[in-house]
Amino acid sequence: MSYPSPLTTRLALAGALLFTAPPLLASDAWQRLEPARALVGDAVPEGDGLVLELPHVSEDGSAVPLTVRFEPVLEDDAIASIHLFATGNPYPEVAGFHFTEQAARPEVSTRVRLNESQRVVAVAVSREGRVWTSEREVRVTVSGCLIRGDEETPEALANPRVSLPDFRAGEPGEVRTLITHPMETGLREGPDGEVLPRYIIETFRVSLDGETAFEAELHPSVSANPYLRFYLTPQAEGEALFEWQDDSGERAEYRAELTLS
Amino acid sequence: MTQPTRPTLDRRQLLQGLGAAASLPLLGGLAAPAFANGGDGRVVVIGGGFGGATAAKYLKRGNPALQVTLVEPQSTFYTCPFSNLFLGGLREMESIAHGYDELRDRYGVEVVHARAEDIDPVAHKVSLTGGRELAYDRLVLSPGIDIRWNALEGYDEAAADLAPHAWKAGPQTRLLKEQLEGMEDGGTFVMVAPANPFRCPPGPYERASMVAHYFSQHKPNAKVLILDAKDNFSKQGLFTAGWERLYGDRIEWVGLSGDGRVTRVDAANREVETEFGTRHQADVLNVIPPQKAGWIADRAGVTDDSGWVPVQPATFESTRVPDIHVVGDATIAAPMPKSGFCANAQAKVAAAAIVAALAGRSAPEPYWTNTCYSLVGPEYGISVAGVYRLADGQIASVEGAGGLSPMEASDEVRRMEAQYAVGWYNAICQDTWGTEA
Ligand SMILES: Cc1cc2nc3c(=O)[nH]c(=O)nc-3n(C[C@H](O)[C@H](O)[C@H](O)COP(=O)(O)OP(=O)(O)OC[C@H]3O[C@@H](n4cnc5c(N)ncnc54)[C@H](O)[C@@H]3O)c2cc1C
Repeated sequence: MSYPSPLTTRLALAGALLFTAPPLLASDAWQRLEPARALVGDAVPEGDGLVLELPHVSEDGSAVPLTVRFEPVLEDDAIASIHLFATGNPYPEVAGFHFTEQAARPEVSTRVRLNESQRVVAVAVSREGRVWTSEREVRVTVSGCLIRGDEETPEALANPRVSLPDFRAGEPGEVRTLITHPMETGLREGPDGEVLPRYIIETFRVSLDGETAFEAELHPSVSANPYLRFYLTPQAEGEALFEWQDDSGERAEYRAELTLS
Repeated sequence: MTQPTRPTLDRRQLLQGLGAAASLPLLGGLAAPAFANGGDGRVVVIGGGFGGATAAKYLKRGNPALQVTLVEPQSTFYTCPFSNLFLGGLREMESIAHGYDELRDRYGVEVVHARAEDIDPVAHKVSLTGGRELAYDRLVLSPGIDIRWNALEGYDEAAADLAPHAWKAGPQTRLLKEQLEGMEDGGTFVMVAPANPFRCPPGPYERASMVAHYFSQHKPNAKVLILDAKDNFSKQGLFTAGWERLYGDRIEWVGLSGDGRVTRVDAANREVETEFGTRHQADVLNVIPPQKAGWIADRAGVTDDSGWVPVQPATFESTRVPDIHVVGDATIAAPMPKSGFCANAQAKVAAAAIVAALAGRSAPEPYWTNTCYSLVGPEYGISVAGVYRLADGQIASVEGAGGLSPMEASDEVRRMEAQYAVGWYNAICQDTWGTEA
């Protein structure tokens, strides 16, 4: 087998297919969102650093996988929170994640609802008040073979699941959590035509020996059966408590003894 | 399923490095076709599956003076559609085999049984195994899918010999069938189903149905367990109702929120582990892994970072590289599903666009239809249909057209749909290869 040498190909391509990169799309969708403006305040959003990963095209808007992460290591500062917005949803706020020294790697994956094709926005805020924003356009289209009928509503707060790594002191370890909940938006009609009341998990918290390490506030744009993947950086051995709290006042929890190696 | 080793710097990186990733909108229209031989144009088609064979035939039908070369390594093509029926014991492999005689003899397509190894989009050349080079004015790629080996931990090419995917019909399908036949009664068939997008959204569930049917005839105590990386799937309500009706509780489905996403495969021990640490032991393990466009698309520089190929919907020409049209499973064409029916429909649109472009005309306004039939049992068929048109330059479903089989229906209706499925299969194979099943 022979391949053309990369260099010849490169030159040939340069000659034949020379394009100028298009101007960067204005990344200012956050300015049209009141809650995002409130977060940014007087700060001037900074450039690269905050990475938002979403598929370009999603075939199922009811659960679009999303990862957000802040990459650079800040000196004498750290990311305090990251907030997600879906600009085309009836309620644009999706979720807010709060990091501490015991959750020192600012990276979270979850699954979100996207009503239609739209721009998703992330805003990161540091302890010192610095701000970063990031945006991604997602096309939502229901694949022809995926049209489906009514789904069953999951039982709320049943079966909390947590997957923990083998932690090493001071190093971030990946944690995954999943719990059943309908995350009823308050916008949907039930089978009898009546609007189903809003019914969602509002907060998720992880405490290590009684001290909050990671917290998430969830809005109706988080998919049913909320899934969260994030990192904990436990400093010492002890008890980890995972708590989910919904807007009816019900709560679920999961406890685990953390050991460090 | 071996692939040639690739040079370290691939064409796609090269193109992206040059900024081609941005967009390559209408460049194809700029260059007037230069016909070396003064004929009506040379079109090379890579892949003799649903998309490629249809494209070759419809190019010739559209303009018999075109020089059309079809490149396909296999001289017999086994269709994935109805390969599940082979697993269910309803058909033989020979009944899903198709050849290329009619394309060659009746339509005058030059059929070359070789593999395309590389594409030079600048020189407009394709190089084949055996050293032959083909020049083209327009190229059609319909390479189908490739497996993303190791995207699912533990699932590589060696693992596929133990835990077949059978997501390309042929030896893998036979292997899975042998394993099912060799399984003890009382065993469990475990299927690992992937997240979207993937080839044939209802395919895994039709397969589970056919395996359950086979068990009901030959291994009455055997079970089917589907571990899914999704919370819902194609025709879910219809499948679930059909399973209950025909197979009782033989088929169990565990979705994403029930910890159904498999994150590690141990093919040697036929064991899988899910995201939250549940282990499942299988007697026969069928892993339908994450997929991407056939690798030759990477060589052409037409795939994007999703691993699939973005196209201009009106012509199915690549948005990245001019004069290359891509159809079938390799493309990003949602809401059209990755089905044989769609590959066939897209190929006709691409063929019409190429015939028009080479004659200096603009492409006709396209529309597409799709129907996916699935067999839940030998006499129990269900379907989903859609009609697609262009809206704002993108493919959109036509509201109110198409739809699902009714949830409540008599056995007679399900029996009729099973017959329509056979009618559909015969018709599409006739249209694609000209061969009866
Ligand atoms: C179990 C199962 C059931 C299915 N059932 C249905 C159904 O009922 N209805 C339906 O509509 N669809 C069904 N499908 C989907 C259907 O099989 C695919 O959508 C269809 O095959 C796509 O056509 P294609 O042309 O893109 O790819 P393919 O049909 O796979 O053809 C690709 C061809 O390209 C060739 N090729 C690849 N690389 C090269 C190269 N470098 N050089 C030369 N040739 C190359 C391959 O050998 C292959 O022959 C099913 C799929 C599966 C797995």
